[in-house]
Amino acid sequence: MPEINVQNLVKQFGDQRALDDVSFAVKEGELFTLLGPSGCGKSTTLMSIAGFQQPEAGRIAVGDETFFDASRRVAVPAEQRNLGIVFQSYAVWPHMTVFDNLAFPLKVRKLKRAAIRTRVLEVLELVEMTAYEKRYPHQLSGGQQQRVALARALVYSPSVLLLDEPFSNLDAKLRERARAWVKELQHRLGLTTIFVTHDQDEALSMSDRVAVMSAGEVQQIGTPEDVYRRPANRFVAEFVGRVNLIEGAAATTAGGAVVEVADSALRLTLGAGQEASGQVTIAIRPEAVTLIPFDDRSADETNIWDADVGTVAFLGDHYEYEVSAGRIPLTVQSSRLVPGDRIKVHIPPSACAVVD
Amino acid sequence: MTTSSYEQTFPRPRRSLIPAWALQWATWLLVVTLIVGPFIPLIYASLRDRPLYEAGGVFTTQPYRDLFGDRAFWDAWVNTLVFAALTTVIAVVGGALVAILCTRTDLAGRKSFGRLILLPILLPSLGMVLGWIVVWGPGGYLTSMFSDRLHLPTLAIDTIPGMALVEASRLLPIAFLTCQAALSRADSSLEDAARSAGARPLRVLFNITIPMLRPALLNAGTLIFTLSIAALGIPLLLGTSNNIIFVSSYLYNTWTNASTPDPGSVSAGAVMMLAVATLLLLLRNRLLGAEARFVSVGGKSGRQALLRLRRWRWPLAGLLAFYLVFTTLVPVLGLAAMSFVVVLTPLVAPWELLTSAHWHVLWEDDAFRRSIQNSAVIAVVGAVATTAFVALATLVAHRSGFRFRRTLPFLMLYPRATPGIIIGIGFFWAYLLTGAFGDVMRDSIWGIMLAFCVRNLPLAYIVMYPTLARIGEELDRAGRAAGAGWWRTSRTIVLPLLKPAIFASFILLFVEIINDYDPAVFLVKPGTEVMGATMLSQFIQGTVGPVSALAMVQVVITVVVLAIGAKVFKVGVTGGEHGA
Repeated sequence: MPEINVQNLVKQFGDQRALDDVSFAVKEGELFTLLGPSGCGKSTTLMSIAGFQQPEAGRIAVGDETFFDASRRVAVPAEQRNLGIVFQSYAVWPHMTVFDNLAFPLKVRKLKRAAIRTRVLEVLELVEMTAYEKRYPHQLSGGQQQRVALARALVYSPSVLLLDEPFSNLDAKLRERARAWVKELQHRLGLTTIFVTHDQDEALSMSDRVAVMSAGEVQQIGTPEDVYRRPANRFVAEFVGRVNLIEGAAATTAGGAVVEVADSALRLTLGAGQEASGQVTIAIRPEAVTLIPFDDRSADETNIWDADVGTVAFLGDHYEYEVSAGRIPLTVQSSRLVPGDRIKVHIPPSACAVVD
Repeated sequence: MTTSSYEQTFPRPRRSLIPAWALQWATWLLVVTLIVGPFIPLIYASLRDRPLYEAGGVFTTQPYRDLFGDRAFWDAWVNTLVFAALTTVIAVVGGALVAILCTRTDLAGRKSFGRLILLPILLPSLGMVLGWIVVWGPGGYLTSMFSDRLHLPTLAIDTIPGMALVEASRLLPIAFLTCQAALSRADSSLEDAARSAGARPLRVLFNITIPMLRPALLNAGTLIFTLSIAALGIPLLLGTSNNIIFVSSYLYNTWTNASTPDPGSVSAGAVMMLAVATLLLLLRNRLLGAEARFVSVGGKSGRQALLRLRRWRWPLAGLLAFYLVFTTLVPVLGLAAMSFVVVLTPLVAPWELLTSAHWHVLWEDDAFRRSIQNSAVIAVVGAVATTAFVALATLVAHRSGFRFRRTLPFLMLYPRATPGIIIGIGFFWAYLLTGAFGDVMRDSIWGIMLAFCVRNLPLAYIVMYPTLARIGEELDRAGRAAGAGWWRTSRTIVLPLLKPAIFASFILLFVEIINDYDPAVFLVKPGTEVMGATMLSQFIQGTVGPVSALAMVQVVITVVVLAIGAKVFKVGVTGGEHGA
């Protein structure tokens, strides 16, 4: 399976920039995710790779094959790109049986009847749908239709696999199972895959690497841990997971960078290796903050603030606290209940990420 | 299952022999040629000092000056506009009322009324006019009965308001369909909200429901106005005796009675009518845009609280039934009776005058027999060809990357706004100018068929487009991704899914083409007669009985084909099909 190269894509819809200099490279066998809110350009990027939309500028190549190159006026038609796509609606052809759906790409490739039969059954077995060969799509559940769509995209051994929000039409329970199953299959077959989603849980749990997109631009590319723990900017921090944002003026001291938090007398020491100066925004994940009872004096660490408890909500596996340290509101996830209206919060320096 | 058996290489799909762009260009060029083509010779002919087939013509604006200098032409415009305005008001108000009664109230039998009310637009229009004349015309059966024997005043259908009533009864279903579609699309929670806010049902009707219909009313009104300007049968058959001339009958009379053949002033008049129709179409396109903005909220088609009519439930149903009997059943019965009696008169009981002579004429007289045969052939071949071609053009318009695809919807809807006689004159000149091809078309039924097909092609598009829009685009993208080219994807995936609309389009086109007549009046020759044109010319000559029989043939064919369509293919005329 070859690698995918996307370089400097630009696409304009009217006076709106849908893609603004989008570039990334997907390695062989990797599951690469385009993550972002609706209208961020992730689907436009995917459809440009598939050949259903034409950017105004840029280059798209898979392996040593150039699919699109605006400067050389190359645009291979979609049907010649040999890609497998699973669409959001699955797009399983309703007037054909499961078998015929899978056989179609092979018929187009002029395979013999017997060869088609063997191959279709082989791939149906791969997605555990052999028993449904003669069914029509309306006789299948959403999850089964999705398997058929995936099988149809794989039956001709495409060079890469493109997944366009394939789980968004499944209910929550089924979605988790489908994710694990698709990830396992992708890994086992070593499929180079681009996956488009707006669901950060999905992106974090499935991807080898994630590209976070917004307003037609790639904001950050990195492993799920990278984008979650070290968001490149405020947008990434807020979009991937929940976050507390604290603004202030940073200065570098002997002990590392320190932020004088705006509108308060609080100071925040940043972790080793973090450099900051001038006006900054610091992102802190709610689960990284620890709560300490107010009268607990044992803790003597940096970044311990006194705080008033606003509301506490029980969410099953954790409690969610809304507290305020001075005038600074903080959301904190805690696995245990801490008594009292006044408490202390501890923000580990390593949990502070400079995002602006 | 191991990974190794998954990894196989397959041959790449080959490109198809005929590239998609070639097919798309061919389709587009044919649409442009068929729809714009006939109008170019028409405009050209209106600016020449002699007919196009005579050598040595020079440019002149004389035809326009002749036309504008003729007072009768301006009188004809005044008559036409008054007639069209009256027709529009009657049809729109009536159609909206029936739509509200059938969708928002508990009127008795509202479902059946909703279907029966559509009949007038599907029945043969010329035949229905003849039916009206037989029953309500001067000397008509019921006219004589009421005025001569009972000394009651009757409806004078040979006046402009009378003619407007006849035309409005045919076009009312358009307003009904448009309003019905708008009402079922509109979110009923808007009305529920007003109810919760304390408004009584009738107040909701006047303050919420009817204002919501405004865009639909404007849209239907413009279409009905455009269509009634083009009416030919009504002014020819009802207006002539009272010397009420419309633009269409002015042009028809000038053409047929001209001292010099094929006068340029007729082409000039046709160009003027075409300009008016085009302006109205453009206006309507802008209104449609406005309507789309009105219905931004997609309504749920859930349970709706119906306005309870209480003691009006049955009287209103009776009134509606009376309307249907009066405008649809009575004319058809009149035709049927007329076709079986020597004279239809209240003075003698009809069974004493029974005869089958009129029906014998249908196969004994060459012109009648040929027109039935020709119409049948034209309707079958034309409906098949038009449906196939429009299906292809609709795919190019909405499911291809073809450069000029966005011009196609406007082009394909254009003939809808064009008066039939103008299409007829346009094709007349076009055939004269196209040498051997034109000669073949002029001397055979295919020339008339082509004009009928172009005239009715918008209906096929109106039927197919909504179905196509409901077929998700990801389905054909999946086909392309699987390696099939545009044509193969269209053929194996999109067209099979479009089948119900294709059948519906065939049925509707068959009915419309077999009943069409006005584009043919300038094209018929001995040997190429079609039913409608024969009915018109024979009726003007006074042959009433056999013409009634021929009209009954049309009515029966129409009803039978529609019934088969409804049964076998589940073809239903739903909102938007005729309305859009």
